[in-house]
Amino acid sequence: MRNVLRKELRLSASVLSYLFILFGLTFFLPGYPILVGTFFVSLGIFQSFQTAREANDVVFSALLPIAKRDVVKGKYAFVCLIECAALLLMALAVVLRMTVFSRSPVYRTNALMNANFFALGAACLIFGLFNWIFVGGFFKTAYRFARPFVTFIVAAFLVIAVAEALHHIPGLAALNAFGTQAIGLQLGLLAAGAASFVLITVLSCKRACARFETIDL
Amino acid sequence: MIVEVQNLVKRYPTFELKNVSFGLERGRIAGFVGRNGAGKTTTIKSMLGMVHPDGGTVRYFGGLLSENEAEIKKRIGYSAGTLAWYPRKRIREIVRVVKPFYDTWDEDAYRNYLDFFSIDEEKTPLELSEGMKVKVNLMLALSHRAEALILDEPTSGLDPFSRNELLNVFLALKREGVAVLFSTHIISDLERCADDIIYISKGSVVAARPKEDFIREYSAAGESLEDTMLRLEGGAAHA
Repeated sequence: MRNVLRKELRLSASVLSYLFILFGLTFFLPGYPILVGTFFVSLGIFQSFQTAREANDVVFSALLPIAKRDVVKGKYAFVCLIECAALLLMALAVVLRMTVFSRSPVYRTNALMNANFFALGAACLIFGLFNWIFVGGFFKTAYRFARPFVTFIVAAFLVIAVAEALHHIPGLAALNAFGTQAIGLQLGLLAAGAASFVLITVLSCKRACARFETIDL
Repeated sequence: MIVEVQNLVKRYPTFELKNVSFGLERGRIAGFVGRNGAGKTTTIKSMLGMVHPDGGTVRYFGGLLSENEAEIKKRIGYSAGTLAWYPRKRIREIVRVVKPFYDTWDEDAYRNYLDFFSIDEEKTPLELSEGMKVKVNLMLALSHRAEALILDEPTSGLDPFSRNELLNVFLALKREGVAVLFSTHIISDLERCADDIIYISKGSVVAARPKEDFIREYSAAGESLEDTMLRLEGGAAHA
């Protein structure tokens, strides 16, 4: 699997996938719908799929001395690596905003959602949806990706809108907690988001492996 | 037999591969011949697990590809003619990534083929002519000591000199005990180096036998192999 991942990183990936990891830093921006950063990270990954398709990457990979399912696993490993790198940047922003900048007026007066553990959990969920809808959708054919990506965009912005709106609903203000307020709830929501990311990704990968076995390349 | 294709069936809406069967033996070169659309590429793709047959089996070294995919693929080589991989990556980079997949990678052989085919590692596939793309694909297939080579149209796009060189490479590999299957529609390639002829027409294998037997059975007196193939394909028009 290490060789497959190396192939993904050095041959298949678009440089934009790496550059767009920096959109994880949107979690530092006040007055900005921070979860949109996940969309841009996904857009960077999408570019790699486009580059790979132009390079006959899937056929090339399927001819390497690996099981066909490892082609799929390699692609998921690459996608997860980019997502985790972005999540790391987001986590850095969250921790800094929860500690050093927890009393910063520019963040306190922010009308949009705060960068806290709930936001990080929501980012995990969006990346999970990307893996399910886009990556899983791509492996239905191993060449069509427009429809899965458009479907993902709709789903992602729906989640972003809901996540942004939730803390305005009476009784749910704790979702927008600052510092260590409601830390139990916040950590629970992060755990739920992370668990959903892992579960959705694993299920999507298994389904994609099974589908890829039946595709004529 | 180190490769056995048995009763391969693949149905498409407008084309069907019908019970294709043949075998490849160590140290023999098999020419897979047929006109465009006869089923050569579908057969080869089925042999490599790229296309899923509706019936039949493909065995390498006695085992099914589906059951021992990674190990079998290490022992075979494949070249897809002029198809270019990663057009904007340098050949050196592509090779650097491919090499670790093969514990049988032969760096000396790689350097030799690089030199033999006059391939510049610093070039990208985008900068190569169609013939050079074929050579790069062949170099990748030949550099890991494959025991069986499956080559789809390896001589297409090559100039006569390169073609001649390549056919000599096949003959050298044959002497080393490698089984070679190459699809072609250039009949003189078969005359030059094939030991066996697998002739496919409209999805069916018409004949799969040693070249001498094929000529004895199908060629008229004084007729060249090319004329025989034209007559077989064209019917009365070429008789």
